[in-house]
Amino acid sequence: MATQVAIPLYDQLSKDFQQRTVVPENEDDTLYNWRRRAFDKFRQQGFPSIRQEDWKYTNLVPYLKEELQTDLPSHDYNEITPETVQKFYINKLEANVLVLVNGELNTSLSSFHGDGDVSIQSINSAADHELYRPYMGKEIDLRHDTLAALNSALFNDGLFIEVRANAVVEKPLHIINLYTSPKNIFLQPRHLIVAHKSAAVSIIETSANINNDAIVWINSVTEVYAEQNAQVNHYVLQSGLVNTREVNHTEVTQHTHSLYNNYTVTLPGADLVRNNLNVNLVESATETHLYGLYLGADHQLIDNHTTVDHRKPNCFSNELYKGVLAGNAKAVFNGKIFVHREAQKTNAFQQNNNLLLSDKAVIDSKPQLEIFADDVKCSHGSTAGQFNNEALFYLRSRGISESSARSLLVSAFAFDVINKIKVGALRSHIEKLINQNLQKWYASK
Amino acid sequence: MASSTDILTDITEKDYEFGFVTDIEMDIAPAGLSEETIHFISAKKNEPEWLLDWRLKAYKAFQKQSMPHWQNFEMPDIDFQKISYYAAPKQKKQYNSLDEVDPELIATFEKLGIPLSEQKTLAGVAVDAVFDSVSVATTYKGKLKELGIIFCSFSEAVQEHPELVRKYAGSVVPHSDNIFASLNAAVFSDGSFVYIPKGVRCPMELSTYFRINTENTGQFERTLIIADEGAYVSYLEGCTAPRRDENQLHAAVVELIAMENAEIKYSTVQNWYPGDKDGKGGIYNFVTKRGICKGDNAKISWTQVETGSAITWKYPSVILQGDNSEGEFYSVAVTKNKQIADTGTKMHHIGANTRSRIISKGISAGHGQNSYRGLVQVGSNAKNARNFTQCDSLLIGDQCGAHTFPYIESKNSTATIEHEATTSKIGEDQIFYLNQRGIDTEKAVALIVNGYAREVLNQLPMEFAVEAQKLLSITLEGSVG
Repeated sequence: MATQVAIPLYDQLSKDFQQRTVVPENEDDTLYNWRRRAFDKFRQQGFPSIRQEDWKYTNLVPYLKEELQTDLPSHDYNEITPETVQKFYINKLEANVLVLVNGELNTSLSSFHGDGDVSIQSINSAADHELYRPYMGKEIDLRHDTLAALNSALFNDGLFIEVRANAVVEKPLHIINLYTSPKNIFLQPRHLIVAHKSAAVSIIETSANINNDAIVWINSVTEVYAEQNAQVNHYVLQSGLVNTREVNHTEVTQHTHSLYNNYTVTLPGADLVRNNLNVNLVESATETHLYGLYLGADHQLIDNHTTVDHRKPNCFSNELYKGVLAGNAKAVFNGKIFVHREAQKTNAFQQNNNLLLSDKAVIDSKPQLEIFADDVKCSHGSTAGQFNNEALFYLRSRGISESSARSLLVSAFAFDVINKIKVGALRSHIEKLINQNLQKWYASK
Repeated sequence: MASSTDILTDITEKDYEFGFVTDIEMDIAPAGLSEETIHFISAKKNEPEWLLDWRLKAYKAFQKQSMPHWQNFEMPDIDFQKISYYAAPKQKKQYNSLDEVDPELIATFEKLGIPLSEQKTLAGVAVDAVFDSVSVATTYKGKLKELGIIFCSFSEAVQEHPELVRKYAGSVVPHSDNIFASLNAAVFSDGSFVYIPKGVRCPMELSTYFRINTENTGQFERTLIIADEGAYVSYLEGCTAPRRDENQLHAAVVELIAMENAEIKYSTVQNWYPGDKDGKGGIYNFVTKRGICKGDNAKISWTQVETGSAITWKYPSVILQGDNSEGEFYSVAVTKNKQIADTGTKMHHIGANTRSRIISKGISAGHGQNSYRGLVQVGSNAKNARNFTQCDSLLIGDQCGAHTFPYIESKNSTATIEHEATTSKIGEDQIFYLNQRGIDTEKAVALIVNGYAREVLNQLPMEFAVEAQKLLSITLEGSVG
């Protein structure tokens, strides 16, 4: 493709893939052929461009200008000590900690290695591919999602978490993603989370770029399967990612009577954050909650694309995304709800609220409904606005300084989402981070 | 009382009531599109050089463009070479009274209930009846003339007011805007032209009835309405078309220009042939409608009731350039059988304190597909811009679809934008409530649908509101969700 020539990474990735002509030892033909099909899709279409509807507001080209290495740095990360890792623990959070360095499971830094209820493996070391074959890439649309296709073709490694049937995991799993590289790097981790029948689990993902000098580009894919009656709480905290650009694709598949809750909180840090969150309701009577909060500052671009695909009857989905934008930040929200003909008695709700704090900030919001069944209740709402002057006046008239009043109102705006977080320690942690940012914003004024 | 499925089948497969063909000798250009066709049209209409040049420029732009692909339906193949681009009733002399008009034409209008003859004219309605592209009769002209209002066909305006046409035509919808607008600019046959001078409040509703008649003739209307400083005008557009088996393309362009303190209200009732119950035939209604609030405190309001056409694809938009200017969009779109509607609006907030309000009500029945697609754009200078959008969809039957694609783009921290959308069917509890009070299901549905669409219907001028209400009940009464 002519337009792709400009992106040096495109050629490099093509070369990388050609080097894979020999089926690696730990992969069989089926996996290899699947990777090849995925790469063909990527090769045909290249990196997404703003001419594609899903990328209309997010131009990747400026983020792909720099030279990026596609090989993982070949050293053993000795400089990362358990003390370093502990800095990223969440205060008072009782959790089983898993540490990933550049997308690979690091067992020596992790404090948890699986037990009777949860099995933890790296995708590569999964002894038997039959274990993940029924899940891997099952719902991802490689034709339309070229970056997910690219990840499928070239992913190196990642986590494979299985929660056994009927296991109710008390302690949340805390996945700490650490990134470090002396040179600009392009990473493609791949994770698979399967909660078997009637299992219940909470997963918390946090991340940090510990070596700030080089650019870390992350193109990750996470697949989550909630089997019949399973419950999955999925928390994603995107903070501490200086010099980072990331596209996260999360593909969720829900079976009957399952519950999936996603909480995505994006804070200032990364240059570019694009979250693609797709939830496929493949069986009836499921429940889904998607909560998002984004605080953008500087020249950040935060783009949340969510899709809820109601394929079967009697499913419930609810989505609430709120955003606060300061500085030159730009945010994109695109929420899609599909209700298929068969999916009668669907209840689907979606809301997106935005607060613009600066005249340079930009919001592009696009909630959309596509409904083919008649016995449904679906609604969506979207707002963009400024501070309520009356509320501000109310606080000011009670002797609260302007900056405190403003920061209070932002906290109140964010509260609707934060309040939904069920893990107390995580909630306080996020509140603390938000307050730090607010102080920074209002102190500089 | 018939069972709900019977009523549903009956209504959703109902034949088009206004399907008949009038036989009048037509002056038709051979099918096909080329520079020659454009020269032919231009010569036929005795147009000045600059207009021909503009048409040719538009034709070049048309050739460069390809069919859009973003719409939410399967685009039918349109062979632009198979369409005849010019059709006019052969008698082209000017009529002084109605007696001179071809009686068959009068009969057609009467069948449609168009108040052409003065006795039948609803009080206060001046009709510029467009019968396949050329204006045949214009009423109330004298009265309007006294006030300095120009209300005539587009071609007449080209001859008599070339300076106005030259200045404003294509200033809101440029010749290269989109493929259908380019096509229109290249081959437009006729249309309406309205100019309201400074400070004049047009005392009556201006109205044009469009009607597509000759087989294979796409109608390429061009309407231009200019309201000078402080002027006010309300313009009505209503359409019915005879039944056809071949699809007919309608690619009109409407441009509205509101100067300082001016107000334009544009209302449409569209009931063209929607095709039979298998979706065969029917009009493609691909229209570009756009208005600009050029001066401060200007106001433009679009109201549309769309019940016809196989495919309705249009987005009446407002460019809010002047400070404190205001844009409104009220729409009811009904789709049944295999009808498709992909409609909505665009509000471009450029000036400070600009306000816009969007109320869109979609009703889908049978296999109908109804999409709302809207853009609210707030620029960085649009301080305190305000938008409110509400789009509701009502689904009747389980084979139809309702879709919403709002785009909200804000670059201003003082702007307030609200969008809400709901989709639901008519509640069984609502029907039950009305049944309980002795109202049968058929009437109950009509009542609920009318109540649902009321907010929009209320915006229509009185005569139109009655027609629109009737149209809605013809289309949907008795449909039980």
